[in-house]
Amino acid sequence: MDEEYNFSVDDAERETIRVWRTWRTVFEMLQDRGYEVTDEEVRIELDEFKHKYVNEKGYPSRDKLKIQARPTEAMKAKYTPLPTPSNRDPQPDCGTIYIEFCPDDSGIGTKQVRTFNHTVDEGNFHTGIFITKTPISPSAVRLLSGIPGRICEHFQEQDLLVNITRHELVPKHVLLSPEEKSRLLQRYRLKESQLPRIQVSDPVARYLGLRRGQVVKIIRRSETAGRYASYRWVI
Amino acid sequence: MSSDAPVLKTSLPSIHAASSRQSNRSPPKPRPGDSRRSPLKPKPKQKPSKPETDPRHLAIALHHAHRIQAQKDAQDLILDRILELVTLPSSPSADPASPSAEDTRKFKSALVPFQPADYDNLIQERNIEGLCGYGLCPRENRKESSRGTFRITWGARGSGPGGRGREMNIVPREQYEMWCSDACAERAMYIRVQLAAEPVWERRSDDLRGKELLLLEEGRSSGKGKSAVRDLASVKEVLGQLDNLHMDTTPEPSAVADDISRLTVQDADAHSRELAMERGDRNPAFQSGRVDVHIQEKSSSGRTVTAPQLRPGDEKGGSIEGYVPQDS
Repeated sequence: MDEEYNFSVDDAERETIRVWRTWRTVFEMLQDRGYEVTDEEVRIELDEFKHKYVNEKGYPSRDKLKIQARPTEAMKAKYTPLPTPSNRDPQPDCGTIYIEFCPDDSGIGTKQVRTFNHTVDEGNFHTGIFITKTPISPSAVRLLSGIPGRICEHFQEQDLLVNITRHELVPKHVLLSPEEKSRLLQRYRLKESQLPRIQVSDPVARYLGLRRGQVVKIIRRSETAGRYASYRWVI
Repeated sequence: MSSDAPVLKTSLPSIHAASSRQSNRSPPKPRPGDSRRSPLKPKPKQKPSKPETDPRHLAIALHHAHRIQAQKDAQDLILDRILELVTLPSSPSADPASPSAEDTRKFKSALVPFQPADYDNLIQERNIEGLCGYGLCPRENRKESSRGTFRITWGARGSGPGGRGREMNIVPREQYEMWCSDACAERAMYIRVQLAAEPVWERRSDDLRGKELLLLEEGRSSGKGKSAVRDLASVKEVLGQLDNLHMDTTPEPSAVADDISRLTVQDADAHSRELAMERGDRNPAFQSGRVDVHIQEKSSSGRTVTAPQLRPGDEKGGSIEGYVPQDS
């Protein structure tokens, strides 16, 4: 698709296509994480996207690109910790997500991040995702992850141009609920620290928004066994 | 153990559990490896109700948890300081060559916990805001109009090799755009080389490095060598000042003797604190260290010690655990 456009279209068009692809990946990501999104939103066509989000100059207007989504019941169940004697009715540790595209072209520092943090805090969102065109400064990264009680993630547009989990070499990652995790540990008589590990900064872990202490099941195709499942502890 | 043999053959967990409970009456001993793992996963809230929780392990875990917390606090503090310093100087017409006393004080005190990398972050943050990287300069940073990645800069007339011609430098674009002028670049770098390289939570309280920062102007006026080659001079001045700082910290011989005499009369608690400090276990930032030393003097009875004497048969080598080898 890229080659087709590269030669014939101008800068604005190319930019629009980039943002459109990012936009679609973001919705696929939300769907994979278990948020409530409709199929029409996920499969938005380029024409429709242009119609909605492109300004009169032909450039995408990023300040219009804002998403809010609520978690589905299935996701809530997955994020509910096991009841303990002291806490018999635990609440799910997930909530509404808010996604914002940063309209600034370059030089994204603490100022923009602080505004974003403020929006997340004011809207009482559980999770926020900040998507920028260029990398953000180290202090901004630290500031972004510093809101107590909320989770803020950062992606660059180029990270989301293609959906990495749709690549044929990337196996399927499935998050286990706390109950499934405890069953797994019981079955293999393991402590969680005895599982193989995956980093929080792993691209797929970032895509799925995994948190420290969770366990993912990785299902790959195997020539001898058909399917092979392995487990990773997120650290 | 004939009664155990059939039990071990089965894989039923309940039976296995019963047998292992029988053989393992005594509470499981804490493994020595635990203490090594605790820095990775500190658990500040271990359940005290668990019978096998060793208070020593708990103390070690807590100690490391406090350490990590202190690190995080220090990082937060540095971030706050960066955000503060981005807004300096207080007036838009301030002159970076002669900043106001209030700003200078603020700037210096805020920079104390910084590492050079944090200082670089500050410069970057200021540039994003469209300011010169030097914290006391209110001007905008230079903007390169051409799209080249490098830029050639020319020095003043007569600055070239041998005092003839002009000095030429090839500067990467990012570096060129950090500052408003070469003077500010020099000022900022003069500060940067004075910052301590180790993070603030690892510094010792008596380490003066990075605590007393000097602005370039102050260094110039107090420094003795004011040679014409400015760049060299500034580096030398900084090094000289560092030497001075170190000289201040080394106590004089009489002071050392005093210290030693004080050591002998100090009680055990002070000793342990000192020992912990020496081992790097204890940082002034934390309440208490991990090492708790009680020195107990061995009571020596008044017996005089005599040298061993030769017993009969010792000339042949004596006995080995009561067995006297026969010579054949």
